[in-house]
Amino acid sequence: MIRLLGLQPTYMPHDLLEFEYRVSNVDQNSISAVEASVVWLTEGKGTEDLGVHSFQRLTGNSLSATDWSIPQKIQVPLPDSPLSYEGRLLKISWCVRIRFYLNDGTELVAQQPFYLGTITREV
Amino acid sequence: MRPRLRLWGKKRGGRMSGWWFVGSLGEALFFASFFLVGILCFTTIVVWQFLSPSTQVVRIGYGFWLLTTVSAAGIVLGAVGFWYRVLKVATSDEHREVIAKHGIVSRPNQPHIKTVLPPTVPLLSSFTDSPGAKLAYRLPCEWPGTGSLIAIGLFAMFWNAMVAVFTVFALRGLLGGDIQYRLLILIVPAIYIGLRSGQLFFKSYVQAIGIGSTTVEIEDLPLVPGEKYKLLLVQYGRLVIKNLTIRLVCEEESTYHFGTDIRTEQEVVRQLPILNQGRSRIDWGRPLELECEVSIPSDAMHSFQSLHNAIHWKIIVEGEANRWPSYCRSFPVVVYPHVRTKPFSLSS
Repeated sequence: MIRLLGLQPTYMPHDLLEFEYRVSNVDQNSISAVEASVVWLTEGKGTEDLGVHSFQRLTGNSLSATDWSIPQKIQVPLPDSPLSYEGRLLKISWCVRIRFYLNDGTELVAQQPFYLGTITREV
Repeated sequence: MRPRLRLWGKKRGGRMSGWWFVGSLGEALFFASFFLVGILCFTTIVVWQFLSPSTQVVRIGYGFWLLTTVSAAGIVLGAVGFWYRVLKVATSDEHREVIAKHGIVSRPNQPHIKTVLPPTVPLLSSFTDSPGAKLAYRLPCEWPGTGSLIAIGLFAMFWNAMVAVFTVFALRGLLGGDIQYRLLILIVPAIYIGLRSGQLFFKSYVQAIGIGSTTVEIEDLPLVPGEKYKLLLVQYGRLVIKNLTIRLVCEEESTYHFGTDIRTEQEVVRQLPILNQGRSRIDWGRPLELECEVSIPSDAMHSFQSLHNAIHWKIIVEGEANRWPSYCRSFPVVVYPHVRTKPFSLSS
């Protein structure tokens, strides 16, 4: 589960994005790696592009030192661009994406979209 | 769905007809075999050269170096291709993107954050390298017909050169009494195509240079939403212009795969009139100079450039002239996003 800590899912450039994530109903010892990223991606007619603004990967000791019963909190300052945009041929969207890799090869993915800027969406 | 063997048919659409894993595995095996064949050839050629020079098949020379280079290229291509395919299966999209930018060795507890500002906006250097005569910058001109003019010119040149060679052969046979009828039958339509392509090229060329050049100068770059900028248009040449318009245009561009083709689609999503000039006469030494102001809407999307998608802002100049076809010239500009001067605080 991912939860944005801002009051609204719309942020302005240079704002601080704060979010927390946790996993439930999964044995802590079965987690082999966790990736937390803040990404923008394009959707629409063209081939999808992906840009990683922030990326954090937990494995090994750093993973075992983490207590997954409490939510993990991350703060990321947001960039100037690209702003969220909904055009005719392309759409630019932002999201927080968490991936949990389990020892049996299972991959759990969760993502939480948010808006950067107010170009095509009024606050 | 029953798989069809498609020998001559062209694949269309983006739908995958097979299991993606089989495709990835096939690609990985192809590159792995490329790597192994490269290693085998390279070691055989080099080791044989040093261990048993008397029985060597390829002596040191052009052949030896050619085979060594081809084997080394196979090794590099196979290794890179294999690891790229493995990474594609074994890592997430985000992780691969980070590896591509920061390398394979990463610090696990330190989040990677880009520091270059503003990201995904085209660089300004190609727009600001030409100073203007009256205003700060002279904008680069994108003439949409340049590509077709060069293509027609190259085609006309090569086609006519080929036709000239065959004509010489045909004439030599004709003068020597050995008339080659098949060649003569082929040459007649080839000469017609050569003449028509030459005519088309010169017509396009005259149209391109007949209407004089257009320059646009701007007060400042990059453009920022909500701001106004002075603009100067100078139209050279010797002609009577019936109508001339200047527009600010925002255009989306997407590149996508359609079967085995790569296609690019463009669509104008926003256009704002800047100036509409009526009838005016231009002469040599007395160019038409028009000063105007362009205002960037406060809700304008900034310029954007990624691998397959883009948002371009352009100043479009369109003109209609007496005795000339209408023309259109495009001057790209860069619009930056609003930049807040107040720095963020990490104290919370």
